[in-house]
Amino acid sequence: MRIIVSIKGVPKLETVKVDPETHTLRRESAELMLNPFDRSALEIAARLKEKYHAEVIAISMGPPNVIPLLREAYSICADRIILLSDRAFAGADTLATSRVLAQAIKKLAPFDLVLMGLKSADGETAQVPPETAALLGIPSITNVKDLFFEDKKIIALRETEYGLEELEAEPPIVASLYPKLDYFRPPSFKRLLEVKNRELEIWSAKDLELSIEKLGLSGSPTRVSGVFEKKFADKGEIWEGEPEELAKRLITLLKEKGFLKA
Amino acid sequence: MRDYIFAYGEYHTGKLHPASLEILTPLREIADKLQKRLILFMLVDDSERLKEVRELEKALCDEIWYLENRELKDFKDDLFGKVIVNLIKETNPYGVFFPATLQGMALAPRVAGELEVGLCAHVNSFEIEGETLYMLRPSYGDNIIAKLYSTTFPIMATLSLNAFPIRENTKKPELKKIKLKEPLNLVSKLRVRSIKPVKREPNKLAVAKVILAGGLGLKTKENFEKLKILAEILEAEIGVTRPLCYAGWAEEDHMIGVSGVTVRPKLYIGFGISGAIQHTIGMENSEFIIAVNIDKEAPLVKMSHVALIVDAEKLLDALLRQLKEGTN
Amino acid sequence: MLVKYSLTEEQSLLVELIKRIGEEYIAPFALEWDEKESFDNRPIRALADADLFGIIVPKEYGGLGMGVFEMCLAVEWLSYYCAGVSTTYAASFLGAYPLILFGNEKQKEKYLPDIARGKKLCAFALTEPQAGSDAFGIKTTARKEGDYYVLNGVKQWITNGGLADINIVIALTDPAKGPRGASAFIVEKGDPGFSAGKKEKKLGLRSSVTTDLIFNDCKIPADRLLSREGMGFMVALKTLDYARCGAGAQALGVAQAALEVSIKHAKKRIQFGQPVYNFQAVSHTFAEMTMRLEASRALVYQVAKFIDAGAKDFSGASAMAKCFATDQAMWICERAIQMMGGYGYMRDYPVQKFFRDVKCLQIYEGTNEIQKNVIARELSKVYK
Repeated sequence: MRIIVSIKGVPKLETVKVDPETHTLRRESAELMLNPFDRSALEIAARLKEKYHAEVIAISMGPPNVIPLLREAYSICADRIILLSDRAFAGADTLATSRVLAQAIKKLAPFDLVLMGLKSADGETAQVPPETAALLGIPSITNVKDLFFEDKKIIALRETEYGLEELEAEPPIVASLYPKLDYFRPPSFKRLLEVKNRELEIWSAKDLELSIEKLGLSGSPTRVSGVFEKKFADKGEIWEGEPEELAKRLITLLKEKGFLKA
Repeated sequence: MRDYIFAYGEYHTGKLHPASLEILTPLREIADKLQKRLILFMLVDDSERLKEVRELEKALCDEIWYLENRELKDFKDDLFGKVIVNLIKETNPYGVFFPATLQGMALAPRVAGELEVGLCAHVNSFEIEGETLYMLRPSYGDNIIAKLYSTTFPIMATLSLNAFPIRENTKKPELKKIKLKEPLNLVSKLRVRSIKPVKREPNKLAVAKVILAGGLGLKTKENFEKLKILAEILEAEIGVTRPLCYAGWAEEDHMIGVSGVTVRPKLYIGFGISGAIQHTIGMENSEFIIAVNIDKEAPLVKMSHVALIVDAEKLLDALLRQLKEGTN
Repeated sequence: MLVKYSLTEEQSLLVELIKRIGEEYIAPFALEWDEKESFDNRPIRALADADLFGIIVPKEYGGLGMGVFEMCLAVEWLSYYCAGVSTTYAASFLGAYPLILFGNEKQKEKYLPDIARGKKLCAFALTEPQAGSDAFGIKTTARKEGDYYVLNGVKQWITNGGLADINIVIALTDPAKGPRGASAFIVEKGDPGFSAGKKEKKLGLRSSVTTDLIFNDCKIPADRLLSREGMGFMVALKTLDYARCGAGAQALGVAQAALEVSIKHAKKRIQFGQPVYNFQAVSHTFAEMTMRLEASRALVYQVAKFIDAGAKDFSGASAMAKCFATDQAMWICERAIQMMGGYGYMRDYPVQKFFRDVKCLQIYEGTNEIQKNVIARELSKVYK
């Protein structure tokens, strides 16, 4: 059994900068952390690995500063880590990103399952898992809470607005994981020591046999025409002073406006 | 060519998801300006029940189309995607839009991926300049709004929930059963074994009159608990910013903003919330806004009617004490 | 920390990982566990998944094969977040040391890999109702019956009691011989006639579990004997020699936390128009607290490295590390409360917890009075 986990580095909020020309995030300069939603994908992969002795391969598209995150994936459960990196990938929207992921996943066939976080904390689009599945021509199931195998079939529990759905699927599929699990394991110390001496595979656009016009900014059908700051007029009152006094004024105001019984 | 704008109608066992009606409001304007026909389309298994859905009679669209098949009973990502892709290929619409429900967000990217067209997420307003349709959504990080457009057709997007009020049509749109020219093999690789209904309370936050919202400036979970006590006194609902939700202090249905709930209360008080756009986008239409923050320059302070420049914890302590004394 | 230690890359990585576990699995919940006196398995599971129960287990049995110093680093930083959790963790080492030091090949192969992976938690049972500091006064017996030993008696205040899968129990095989008639046994959870008593209610370390262990004709196979008959106290004392540094390391972590919380408060708290830290009576107290903490750390680290370097006689050294560091930590935590005034006394703030937790460190794993006996005894061997 082979499980592929696709993870993403997201910029730490305070370190984000926007490129003034392309209006996309400058990921190269930002400090990255593992997309918090991807922890579910890694945890479920780790559980499936324990249960079925599955092979876990972690992939990530991004600049070389996502390497520590791939190492983290290794220290949690991955047996193999692959960085998908090329200047040509920069500025990709969800479709151009999904093309790279789908192609890398294809190269790793045969596989049974692709796991991803429900969405990324930066884009929050939740589009990449279904788009990648569509490009691979395989089913996708989003918002999966738990997943296991039964007679070569995948059984997935999905949280929907209408209830908890139990789905049966023929592998391979792409599943995006519900962000909250009862437990997320930390990295293993042994594997943290091991991964330092481990060689990392890096795949470029050429390795993936992808043509440049389908990639990055030029391969992205959604374009940012501009960004603008939301400005608010300073129309309000500013109250300053000691907490006790401000609390008193606030209570009076709330009473005047009828939010508190006088 | 490109005569239609499609809006996805999320239909489940005799009920239409209200978000499908919300998205018709901005799409109506676009359709009128660009002279397109606005179609609400649905994939159903029981047209008899569909015809009894009263809301459809006042839906703000020109026509309602439905495709009917027993296989369309439960939502199956791959099958629904395939049907919509074929519908699009046969009808060549100008745009296809989905509400940003869980189902919409599962389906739209499958369709966009298969067609290899652009898809914008969580759009909460539109602008038309000349021939171009711009889609606006808040962006990560600073207080910025991104203005996007698509270079491919159909233009596709998912639209934020609660971002648009439902408006009613003055005339009843025509309900049409449609068939695909190309007969489809309606087989899914997914099978829904069961759906265990979860008793879900309707989200109280979206309709709350008074909201007390907490952010990282509350510093500790104990302070957040104090906010809950104050909320009981004020008969208010609790809202949170994204970091608090991710820290596990509150469930996601309390999160206000981009991927959370959009609120319109009569009174909103933000405790220790600086006002990142992901949050403010979800509460900017509150009638009266009070900010409690130590930073005078915080965006929420700027957009508030009254700003208290004070440590949220200290103010909470003082409020609770004074309110307690008041009742004694 | 005003004194910086140069750690190897591995040691730094270890500390980093412990801090990460502390921040995520302990810090948000520590006050709640204390308040409710509840044990939560999640941090233990996280430590297990991180391989950190394998620190002292030799590599050939699936462990990390590290030394007392690394064990101390792990325990110190875990204690920084919650001394209750670190007690559960360190007590497991107390049960693992006898197997590492005295187990035969079969026993090591059977138990150590599971201990290293954190699949099995350990406990060490010496104390009895009548035998605390006077450990030689134990009454629990182990009678040989064919291929079995049958244990009878009660062990008291055993950390991880009822939780541990592997319990090292000191019992008399030959009561006539007194202390020389004691032997060490491995008792597994589920052995017939073995049970845990009710959970004790404690002043501190409330997120850890302490119970009696009850042996009522508890029948165990003869191959559960550790080392030879009569070696029981040898096993116990050697184990305690190794583990005592860990108690000292716990003290460092708690004292560090107490210092940090109280100094942050003193720099923020305004009285008489300025931060109270500006008053010399306050700042000098912090100077004193820091000196005592750094001196303790230097001693604990040095003793741990002394043991790791292969020292033969280190009873006195490890007794000093334990006694000195825990006494200083008690003083530091008491001062931390005083420096915070009323805030320090309130249960919404953590220093009162540090104060209650740290008290136990002066008592368990040999009271500090007993430690001084050990130091004095060792001293008189040197200066005859």
